[in-house]
Amino acid sequence: MSVLAGDLREAMTSSAMIAVKNLDFYYGQHKALHGITMDFPKRKVTGMIGPSGCGKSTLLRVLNRMYDLYPGQRATGEVMFDGRNIVAPGMDMNRLRARVGMVFQKPTPFPMSIYDNIAFGVKLHEKLSRAEMDARVEDVLHRVALWSEVKDRLKSSATALSGGQQQRLCIARTIATRPEVVLLDEPTSALDPVSTARIEELLDELKKEFTIAIVTHNMQQAARCADQVAFFYLGELVEIDSTDRMFTAPREKRTQDYITGRFG
Amino acid sequence: MTEATHTVKSYEQELERLRGLMARMGGLVERQTARAVSAIVDRDEEAAAEAPELDPEVDSLEREAEALAIRILALRSPMAVDLREIVAALKITGDLERIGDYASSIARRAMKLEMENNLSLIGLRNMGRLVQENLRRGIDALTQRDRDRAIEVWQSDTAVDELYTAMFRELVTYMMEDPRNIGACIHLLFVAKNLERIGDHTTNIAERVYYAATGEMLPSVRPRGGLGPTTVA
Repeated sequence: MSVLAGDLREAMTSSAMIAVKNLDFYYGQHKALHGITMDFPKRKVTGMIGPSGCGKSTLLRVLNRMYDLYPGQRATGEVMFDGRNIVAPGMDMNRLRARVGMVFQKPTPFPMSIYDNIAFGVKLHEKLSRAEMDARVEDVLHRVALWSEVKDRLKSSATALSGGQQQRLCIARTIATRPEVVLLDEPTSALDPVSTARIEELLDELKKEFTIAIVTHNMQQAARCADQVAFFYLGELVEIDSTDRMFTAPREKRTQDYITGRFG
Repeated sequence: MTEATHTVKSYEQELERLRGLMARMGGLVERQTARAVSAIVDRDEEAAAEAPELDPEVDSLEREAEALAIRILALRSPMAVDLREIVAALKITGDLERIGDYASSIARRAMKLEMENNLSLIGLRNMGRLVQENLRRGIDALTQRDRDRAIEVWQSDTAVDELYTAMFRELVTYMMEDPRNIGACIHLLFVAKNLERIGDHTTNIAERVYYAATGEMLPSVRPRGGLGPTTVA
């Protein structure tokens, strides 16, 4: 299995963009994550799988402190990102969320024009000239392969786009602020297969530049897109390994039972 | 290996059916091999006729297993142990079919073999016995998905190779002693070669069973005993 070993080595030795250590998470009294320790390697795609309620989305929401928006939710432990523990008090949330972008299950275009959907976030963090902003909008629309489809209607409403186009616009909006990490929470579960393939193709492109974490219920999607895959169950990280290894020969019986469809 | 059953029952049934097809193929080629060896070393004409007659059934089971494996791959997107078992099944049924072919070939050769002279068949009898024993254990390992037995089978093919090398030398000696032996010895040499090939396919089956059970591949080079026939010739 020298090929697998090689992939594994590559996936593991790539330096960690985010290093999670002994992370616990609570929804009020309920402990939703138990001592999670894992790395998100730089410019790699990390897939997160597991049954509903296993904690995978919770972990994703910790990575940009989305949970701060809700009372009673708290995290303890360490999530090191660029030399700082982001779950410790005193983080600049706006700055963090610009550096760690997020795309959700359902496309969430703002009720404004295609152009403004992208420019909106950028304006919060950067002062760009009109020409610079035009260039930024065009650049990210090219990168999500949406430019040719929308270039003649940048001023029309984003909500008129198809679901797949809306999701690509949301990804464009996320990368327009030039984050280092992109979090995707089941980004294709509401899309048809063609739109899904476009997003997956896009991930291949994006990982050249960004560190990506994707939560998905679709095992084939994790297999197609991810470099490493983490399996969560009941708030615990059961197993994390290279994608090849996870889907051909996982080490843990619980992983195997889940991915082969043996969970009762 | 004990596995929980699939949540989707029809998936479980399809895997069971695939295992059943392999087990039936295994039983048939075991019988073909036993009859082929008997045809040669006991000069049993009935056995010689029976071995090739089983070929069509083996072939049809192989096609059925292949179609089922492809169907499962296409419709179930198998993962992990299931994926390994199905890929192994595709290869194992190919190995079983080849074993059946070699056995038939031995049996057909037995019908042609004219042995007025009293050449010793002891070496071939021993080789036949060992190959059959390994095949039987290989098929047990397959049906029980037993990784330990698979390793045993994989290792014991070395003895078959050694016996083949010895047979090769023995038959060359007979031919040098008396050119009238050449016709019969050539047939016996092919028989020995076919038995050796059955041993190799049995080893392949053991390797696949081990991979399916563990997810690890056995090393590609097994320490070989004796000299290969090419160096002898």
